[in-house]
Amino acid sequence: MTAVALSRSRPAPVLRIEIRRSVVLWAVPLLLALFYFDSFRTAAGFPPVWTVRSSVITSQMISDFGPFAAGLAAWAASREGRRKTVDLVATTVRPAWARQASALGATLFWLVLAFLAGVAAIYIDTALNATWGGPPLWPVAAGVVEVGTFAVIGFTAGALFPGRFTAPLAAIGTFLLAEIGFHAALQMNPEGSTYALLSTATAVPLGDNGVFYHVAPDVAIAQVMFMGGITVALLGLLTLAPACRVSYRGLLSGVDRVGRGLCVAGIALLASGVAASSTAYALAGTAKLTVSGWDIPALHDAASDQPVSYTPDCAGTSFRVCMHPAFSGFLSDANTALQPVAAEIAGLPGAPVRAEEVPSGEGVGHGLVLPGLPRAGLSGTPPVYTYISDDGLAPLWGSPAAVDNAGWRAGFQQAFLTALVTGPPHAGPGPDAAVLSPTAAQQAVITALMTAVGSTAPGFGEDMTNTGQPAAGATPAQIAAAAQRFASLSPAARHAWLAANLPALRAGTVTLAQLP
Amino acid sequence: MNIELYDISRRFGRNVAVDGVTLDAGPGVLGLLGPNGAGKTSLLRMLATILPPSSGKLALLDRDPAKPAARREIRRRLGYLPQHLGYYPSFTVVEFVEYFALLKEVPPHLVPKAVAAAVEKADLGPKAKAKLRTLSGGMLRRVGIAQAIVNEPELLLLDEPTAGLDPEQRVAFRALIRDLGQTATVVVSTHLVEDVGAACSEVALMSNGRVVFRGTPEELTARGEAGQGVGDAPLERGYSAILAAARTGS
Repeated sequence: MTAVALSRSRPAPVLRIEIRRSVVLWAVPLLLALFYFDSFRTAAGFPPVWTVRSSVITSQMISDFGPFAAGLAAWAASREGRRKTVDLVATTVRPAWARQASALGATLFWLVLAFLAGVAAIYIDTALNATWGGPPLWPVAAGVVEVGTFAVIGFTAGALFPGRFTAPLAAIGTFLLAEIGFHAALQMNPEGSTYALLSTATAVPLGDNGVFYHVAPDVAIAQVMFMGGITVALLGLLTLAPACRVSYRGLLSGVDRVGRGLCVAGIALLASGVAASSTAYALAGTAKLTVSGWDIPALHDAASDQPVSYTPDCAGTSFRVCMHPAFSGFLSDANTALQPVAAEIAGLPGAPVRAEEVPSGEGVGHGLVLPGLPRAGLSGTPPVYTYISDDGLAPLWGSPAAVDNAGWRAGFQQAFLTALVTGPPHAGPGPDAAVLSPTAAQQAVITALMTAVGSTAPGFGEDMTNTGQPAAGATPAQIAAAAQRFASLSPAARHAWLAANLPALRAGTVTLAQLP
Repeated sequence: MNIELYDISRRFGRNVAVDGVTLDAGPGVLGLLGPNGAGKTSLLRMLATILPPSSGKLALLDRDPAKPAARREIRRRLGYLPQHLGYYPSFTVVEFVEYFALLKEVPPHLVPKAVAAAVEKADLGPKAKAKLRTLSGGMLRRVGIAQAIVNEPELLLLDEPTAGLDPEQRVAFRALIRDLGQTATVVVSTHLVEDVGAACSEVALMSNGRVVFRGTPEELTARGEAGQGVGDAPLERGYSAILAAARTGS
């Protein structure tokens, strides 16, 4: 007998060696660079709202990590074939599936660690900037599962087709797969097919996503089920592969050589994976668009449909500027921008006494008319100017150094004055309905009022009619001249004229020539 | 007997690589000689449980390798050095040997000692922490030998083990084989008849998939001294004489 006592060993030491020598380590610097320049900077450009920034985890981060995960896993899986150690390892006790499990485990270890480090970086940055809420975990779960799925797809390809070209092909293939899913998700509409929800890569959510309404975990659950099912099914396929490969003398011979227990386990994994993915696919087809986003009835908890309670943060005294505490970091800017123009129009008929942020509604972002949702514009008695984060505050998001504060202030004031001058309510769905095309006289008044408070004259565009005439009924030069004339009046004269003529101005019956 | 083959054949399509070989071997060093294409590597791969035989009976270490549980036990006691050693360039010498010790299910607490002993026996001590990508062909061959002996195998199969080794290393390696052959069955497949003369207690000569000679190196030498073969050394003359006789069917 040998001097070395022989007994069964645990797989951990093999995993330790695989972890130490994993090919993923070579790619970590590249992954980090890609993460910083794509995912991290994208997240930093979003509002400091947890749900919005966390959307980067399942979109940009997956685009960055997914193809690498597939390629690196394929490279790891094809190692025995590429390095021609197939005979050597075949004479050892540890079966192919156990060796592959160690190699896959090490690959996943580093990939998931790198992915979670990226998530941590985004969440730490968000924590430093966010004023409300906490880190959502479902995107993290979906992201981790998806990275795992990409890796297992690549690993399966590498194990079944070991060759040096398998890894790049796996990376390119999964990249294309993700892009197809992304484009399908972008083209999704409430009336059409909703299967594209299974792709975690979607369009950028609205800035107040998850702020006024809970984001239901329904879609994330379906995504985890779908991708987890694919992963489990592929693991089953990997388990069965040796039986199929040695079955040159018949499948039963192959099964016998691999082991019946292992074959049963492989079939069970394959079947359960296919079942989970099929179920998720069916569930995704039943999704419905609501104010808070997509709900899947079979998974949906109706209790989560209630609006999130909050106390708005406000500034100002006679004219109050209020917003959701998630955006309170922008309150000072918004208050500074609106107070001068609010003072200009104070006391006029229909002049707002308060500016208040309202939910845009994720469903509205998809063009759906959702009854009961407050609209941006001017409404109520006393009148309240309501705005949504994406229209009002979006230019302030991102690095302070990159923000054009003067430009944003002018735009915010213009939207406010447009609501007053063009009159409430604004028809039509969606946040864009708040900005209608004002008439030439309305444009001139808005420009004059903004000039009076020292803001840059706004741009209204130069829309033309079919006959080539300016849509507003006058050229920009004519409007600018009228605005200059109106702005040169004393504040009291401007106020008096507006007090007398605002209803007619709103009705669109005042011409440029009639402006004083 | 650690190796018992009875009428073993192995076919690849229409090609018969091993044709009705009957052979047995106990502890000691068995040299497997033969020209290219004689079937040595196919026979060795069957002994290594990589290939199942197409027909015939095969027992290794008193177990039937066709049965999964028995095959595991055989592999636990098996060492194998293939003709073309594949390796993982990013692994160090110690890691590579340790990796195979673990794949052979050497108990983890015994692995460091077993690895150190194998590395020492293969004379790789100074290069223990070197990455495999930095080693020469001869060094890599020694790494292959170290991984083959790390579990102190009862059945050691070496396919062209001295290829790439310099004369000094070859001498040391023959001594190692003789030492291992004291307790284990060592099968050495080689082209080099001097390896057989120096290290093997028995010789099997293969030609066209068949064993055409089985005996001691001295008996092989005696065939050469009968004057029928060609070659510089008596063993070579014996080798060529038997092959010539096998080809003519005499």
